[in-house]
Amino acid sequence: MTNVIRLNPPKQKAESPSPQSQPFAELAVTTNFSFLRGASHPEELVRFAAELGLAAIAIADRNTLAGIVRGHVILRTMAEEAAAKGDPAPQIRYVVGCRLSFRDGTPDIFAWPTDRAAYGRLCRLLTQGNLRAEKGQCHLDLADLLEWGEDIILGVMDTSTTPEKERAGALDLAATLASLSTAFPGNVRLMASCTYTGNDSRRLARLARIAEAGDVPLMATNDVHYHQSDRRPLQDVVTCIREKTTLREAGFRLAANAERHLKPPEEMARLFRRYPQAIAETMRVLERIHFSLDELSYQYPTETAGDLSPQEALLRLTEEGARFRYPEGIPSDIRKSIDYELELIGRMRYAAYFLTICDIMRFARDEAKILCQGRGSAANSVVCYCLRITEVDPRMIEGGLLFERFLSEKRNEPPDIDVDFEHERREEVMQYVYEKYGRDRTSLTSTVITYRARSAIRDVGKVFGLSEDTIDALASTTWGWSDEGLPDKDVRRAGLDPHEKTLRQALDLSASLNGFPRHLSQHVGGFVITRDRLDEMMPVMNAAMEKRNTVEWNKDDLNDLGILKVDVLALGMLTCLRWAFDFLRRQYGWDLDLHKLPKEEKAVYDMLGRADAIGVFQVESRAQMSMLPRLKPKKFYDLVVEVAIVRPGPIQGGMVHPYLRRRQGLEKEEYPSEALREVLQKTMGVPLFQEQAMRIAIVAAGFEPHEADLLRRAMATFKRVGTIGNLKKRFIDGMIARNYERDFAERCFSQIEGFGEYGFPESHAASFALLVYASAWIKTHYPDVFCAALLNSQPMGFYAPAQIVRDAERHGVVVLPPDVNYSAWHSKLEPLPPGRNGSLHSHHVSMRDDIRTRYAVRLGLHRIKGMSEVDANLVADKRGNGYDSVRDVWLRTGLARAAIERLADGDAFRSVGLDRRDTLWAARGEGAMKARDRLPLFDVPQHADIRREPDFALPPMLIGEHIVHDYRYLSLSLKGHPVSHLRRDLAARGIIAAEDLRGHTPERDGRDMNGKRVTVAGLVITRQRPGTASGVIFMTLEDETDITNGIVWPRVFERYRPVVLGARLIALTGKVQSEKGVIHVVADRIDDLTSMLSTLAADAHDLQSLSRSDEVAHPTGDDSRSRGTRRHPRNIRFFETDERTKATHDVMPKGRNFH
Amino acid sequence: MSNAALLPPEPRRRILALWLPYLSTDRLHRQGKGKSWRLRLVEPSSSHAKKNVAGSARADEPPLAVVAKIKNALRLVAVDEHAASLGLTRGTALADARAMLPALVVADDEPAADTTLLATLADWAERYTPLIAMDDNGLLFDITGCAHLFGGEAALVSDLTTRLLAHGFFAQAAVADTPGAAWAASRYANGGIIATGEAASVLSPLPIAALRLEPEITSAMERVGLKRIGQIIGAPRAPLAARFGEALIQRLDQALGIEEEAIDPRRPPAVFIAERRFAEPISHADDIAAALAALARTLATSLERHGEGARQIEYTVFRVDGVVMRVVVNASRPIRAPKLILALFREKFAALADDIDAGFGFDMARLSITVSAAMDAAQIDLAGDANAEGDVSALLDRIIARLGEGSVATIATRQSHIPERAAVFVPHGNVIATAQMPATERPLRLFAHPEPIFVTAGVPDGPPVHFRWRSATYHVTRAEGPERIAPEWWNDGGPTRDYFRVEDEVGHRFWLYRDGLYANSTAPPAWYLHGVFG
Repeated sequence: MTNVIRLNPPKQKAESPSPQSQPFAELAVTTNFSFLRGASHPEELVRFAAELGLAAIAIADRNTLAGIVRGHVILRTMAEEAAAKGDPAPQIRYVVGCRLSFRDGTPDIFAWPTDRAAYGRLCRLLTQGNLRAEKGQCHLDLADLLEWGEDIILGVMDTSTTPEKERAGALDLAATLASLSTAFPGNVRLMASCTYTGNDSRRLARLARIAEAGDVPLMATNDVHYHQSDRRPLQDVVTCIREKTTLREAGFRLAANAERHLKPPEEMARLFRRYPQAIAETMRVLERIHFSLDELSYQYPTETAGDLSPQEALLRLTEEGARFRYPEGIPSDIRKSIDYELELIGRMRYAAYFLTICDIMRFARDEAKILCQGRGSAANSVVCYCLRITEVDPRMIEGGLLFERFLSEKRNEPPDIDVDFEHERREEVMQYVYEKYGRDRTSLTSTVITYRARSAIRDVGKVFGLSEDTIDALASTTWGWSDEGLPDKDVRRAGLDPHEKTLRQALDLSASLNGFPRHLSQHVGGFVITRDRLDEMMPVMNAAMEKRNTVEWNKDDLNDLGILKVDVLALGMLTCLRWAFDFLRRQYGWDLDLHKLPKEEKAVYDMLGRADAIGVFQVESRAQMSMLPRLKPKKFYDLVVEVAIVRPGPIQGGMVHPYLRRRQGLEKEEYPSEALREVLQKTMGVPLFQEQAMRIAIVAAGFEPHEADLLRRAMATFKRVGTIGNLKKRFIDGMIARNYERDFAERCFSQIEGFGEYGFPESHAASFALLVYASAWIKTHYPDVFCAALLNSQPMGFYAPAQIVRDAERHGVVVLPPDVNYSAWHSKLEPLPPGRNGSLHSHHVSMRDDIRTRYAVRLGLHRIKGMSEVDANLVADKRGNGYDSVRDVWLRTGLARAAIERLADGDAFRSVGLDRRDTLWAARGEGAMKARDRLPLFDVPQHADIRREPDFALPPMLIGEHIVHDYRYLSLSLKGHPVSHLRRDLAARGIIAAEDLRGHTPERDGRDMNGKRVTVAGLVITRQRPGTASGVIFMTLEDETDITNGIVWPRVFERYRPVVLGARLIALTGKVQSEKGVIHVVADRIDDLTSMLSTLAADAHDLQSLSRSDEVAHPTGDDSRSRGTRRHPRNIRFFETDERTKATHDVMPKGRNFH
Repeated sequence: MSNAALLPPEPRRRILALWLPYLSTDRLHRQGKGKSWRLRLVEPSSSHAKKNVAGSARADEPPLAVVAKIKNALRLVAVDEHAASLGLTRGTALADARAMLPALVVADDEPAADTTLLATLADWAERYTPLIAMDDNGLLFDITGCAHLFGGEAALVSDLTTRLLAHGFFAQAAVADTPGAAWAASRYANGGIIATGEAASVLSPLPIAALRLEPEITSAMERVGLKRIGQIIGAPRAPLAARFGEALIQRLDQALGIEEEAIDPRRPPAVFIAERRFAEPISHADDIAAALAALARTLATSLERHGEGARQIEYTVFRVDGVVMRVVVNASRPIRAPKLILALFREKFAALADDIDAGFGFDMARLSITVSAAMDAAQIDLAGDANAEGDVSALLDRIIARLGEGSVATIATRQSHIPERAAVFVPHGNVIATAQMPATERPLRLFAHPEPIFVTAGVPDGPPVHFRWRSATYHVTRAEGPERIAPEWWNDGGPTRDYFRVEDEVGHRFWLYRDGLYANSTAPPAWYLHGVFG
């Protein structure tokens, strides 16, 4: 069970049921899956009901079945727990129900299906209500119930608690009872509850009369909304959230008392002492109900098999695939694995599932030409490799695959195959799935959106009437997810007193609300596909997006019931590779594909070993880039390790440094036993993958394979559910029994604990490593292709287009600006302009013979801010032999003036001979004229008009200002780096260039910079504060020569906080640290140089007039200012310069933040 | 000295633009630290600076910003000087600002409070001229012909900004022939006095934004390199108008005084005005009345000269500390005689006696005729008074008019389960939606303080069998309940009450409750009588 819930131990100890008390079943329970109505988790309610000794509990949420699986599963878990302890299984029965709430004024009716068929009808009923309403709503009428209500026991609720409503409601009630009894004789009950509103006895008497008159039995319930009375505050809070009001204003929308909790049988008997038949009726109803969720036997669609049985079809496809994969003959170990896997798949009847995945991927690959690749544990299966679900060759994985990670008989849980598709074209795949299997059999899984610390304090804060600002301060102190609520010190840091009563209550209640489901949303791409009607297995509802529908259960619920799903996911790198393969085919005539890439090329590994990885999948982050030169990957498996090692799991588990030391030969590989050597040898004795953790459990602690998988799953969720304790004891005892030291055993366990949430399975790392290799291969040989492909797949990855373009230029690629006469919407490759040749930066000279670039990259119009694809296509379509003026573009494309201005801002008229300023001037002039100008007749005279316009001397735009505008509208500039125009000023301040940090390289003067104190300056490209690095911030700066890696310790950060987080251009002073070619500057001082950027934007005219404006602005002769210095705080004299600084500040990249 | 003037527009207008760049944060600082907070912060060394001395927050005080929700994100809409000096600007996302400056103090934006404050300042500033228009974070004054009263324009500006500083506001002011030029100089130059004819040279170096244009136009002009007003003053106009619209030309002409621009005063200009400044502030009621009499006499002369009579007269007194008091009287017929005018005000003063708080005294008084009519056009209402005097609401209105707001209260119901909180007295006329009460039965009379009683009742929630109240014993013959009412836990907590309606042998009906449940406490819970029916 991986749902996030908080299982509070019951505070008030339930009295043990007295044997003589009348048995009672509580069949009308509202959980928190009746969103913002119930105040307890289904799990809490079921557990507590069992403790109270209730005969049964029915979860009956409002027009939904979203919570019923949770209740079902917790009972199963309770039985397992009891069995483990040797206790008798819990006696309580679990019933599936629903509280139907109608829009036509019919009172609420509880519905309990008696068997599988009735359950199917209930699902149909809810689906009908869902589909006619918008997302999150369900519109039901009594007529619907009359249509679908057969064999469902119906409990009509009396919702009138006041005398007025009683009189009005009595008629409705009697009428409803009558029409239902006629339709479903014997299945209708009248529900009665004690609400403590002062008139309970009168009301019960009245209901008894109505029941008798209508000849329907009276049935007792407490209309439960929470398991214990101490949940009343939370119930009040969710009511306020739902009603969008505050506690102070909610008034009678809140309940008067805390009585709607689960009550023990004897208390229910006491409340209904005058109507014992109402208590007994719950048991009679219970006897009629035979349905259990275990009956939902799931059938996978079979049409993919054709005439053959699914297993035969799978066998045939696998054999074909194996011959394709192993053209020289199938190795015997592979043969063995295939047979074993197929046999197991057959026994588990999963063949149809594999066929379905194959079919979806076949459509994508062969019909739609969409790149796709399986990820995750599927790479542990040879059959998946043969079926081309994954590209990971089992022989690439050292030590073999761990099939149990993928499919285990004992686990009795369906395999989980996730497939990545190009992110821009995933929708096509999804619509294919819908079309192929039909909408009544296909749906997306849902995601239960639950409250987190942040969202909880936001909503609860509002309910308590806290100010927006206080709420924001509290919400912004929560870093990541925390189940413990907000620590006092964080509250104090927000400037608030955690002991102030209202705040304390708000904090405590938001901690309780944390983990509550808030609403259902659609899962990004998880599909449920069934053989028969889906809406007879579970209700289906509309999704927020058109043409989509979702079920009410999330992936855990589906897993728990053994229902298969297919994850159709999106991956940006696949889009990038698709572009790359297209460019290669069209421009270079080379038809490549993921599986056709030349393997294991040295040049590729050499490049990665130099940390030359900008744009490469997964390994381009700061941490990865500093790992690459130390790891020096030489073969595919090294990439698998590289992908897996820079993860919170291994980092927190302290595995990174031991591995690196061993790899560099600084430390001996040690194995406490031969068995473990086999497991850990491939990673030099350091466990790095989930699979290794599982294998350690198997070989060293004596776990069965399926138990090892249980351990993995427990680790993933141990923080929430706390079931790991037993397994830990077994693990350590098991290792001690096999002669391992206790100390070692504990270390092993704590190491693998770290994997729980954050570790990569080896199979997943291998799938990703394939993409690392593929993207690196393209970057190595075709940096032009790589650059254009990356630009066309934005946004993705770690770096902004400016860095991608710079990196390409350094690899000898000529990059050309967007232009109305050359560019399309996307960036593309075009022949090198005569006389233009890229030059290779000194860092990359070793790649001279590997780079095969022959084209220039032409930036597409998509790079221009605010440009629309439709307009860009118009420009390209109407181009003909080229445009010769702004007017020409305007007349031929019919673009709106705003669109022409966008093109002007992007400086896209250079080929016409105009810079952005001239273009803009012309464009605004054109736009001011009326549409009649388009008539050819008037063309000439209008031209004449234009010429008659008086000359207007615009000041020329200097290069610095152009660069600023390039950044503003293209977010990059091909005309130069902003910092290069400040170099003189920087040098005067003793600031060195980034490339000078590499002083010790042979190409340079041979000085060793290591340990020297230097100052470098640059634009802030990224800031990263990994959760694993104890508050250290990694800053990446960029100047015209290179990128500088800065390290900022927390102490320094606190001192320069505003600069680190706010400045666009900084100077960083500190010691140089150089190790294995990785150079850092450890900052001890940081200065904000952003204001220097504003001098770039100034033109000659500005400089002149600025000096004049000083005199006028300060008639008293006060002129204490000088350009570029930070303004005096009290002084608003420089208001307009400030505005200018701010404008420039805003143009320059803000720097991307990563955590 | 007194001065009466009829106000025909003089040939050359002079406009003062006042800018309060830190209006919102100044408001908050004043609330927190008192009006004189800026004075305390002026360092002695800077006292020589003649004008616009901005006292500012000390570095050891936390920076302050005002935030509002803009497109679903909280953003800074105002920052104080300290925050600005640390690099915060308007428009920054609050999350970013907090990350940069965790010590930042933040307040929610209250545009209404800012507007009210600005209006108060405008009232106060009427000491300089009655013609004042509201502006964005500032005010526009028509000071035509006024400046000499203050010793010239520079002295007026200095007086204005210095007084504002003493009140806790940083302000910058400029005077020019046109609202446009004064506005531009107050915000984009450093304030100051622009002599007639000098507008062009002062405006030239200022950025285009100083022309009060749409941001889109300003940005478009900047992009073609037109960044300063000087670049377009002498330039050909047709190309500019074609590209940036007629508004640009209009704004330019307005600033230069080529095109007239009216300012829109908050109060309609008075027809006749007389005012008086006191070297020594006055505070005695007699002095205030005497000043009024003198002004009335002055005005009477003016009225007579024009054959007019007053229908509405406003007496404004300016207190030394900036408070402005305004008393308005209406005459059903035009009047002119000082005696009549005085009589009207005497009535009014009698009603207001308590409200005139002279404080440190008044240093100026002004009498304005705001509505006048030809004196001979006497109008007598022949229709008589046909209003339904018996109407209760009319009666209440009259009582309130005589005795003041809040003198009449009505009962409103309020949504609370707690019986004693379900009704509340509110001033009559305050529009409060009366809550729909649930139809649970409540006694006709609810005791202000529930009275303890001794009860014999069944456990856990049985009704009383008999009870003792004020040393008499009552035997319960009928009972209904319990009605269980839990406390408002977010307010004050307390035990849950179980209410019962009971009837004794002779038919008295009581409402009583047990304060707490048996299960939850060791001591038996107490019982109270909370009300009686009938």
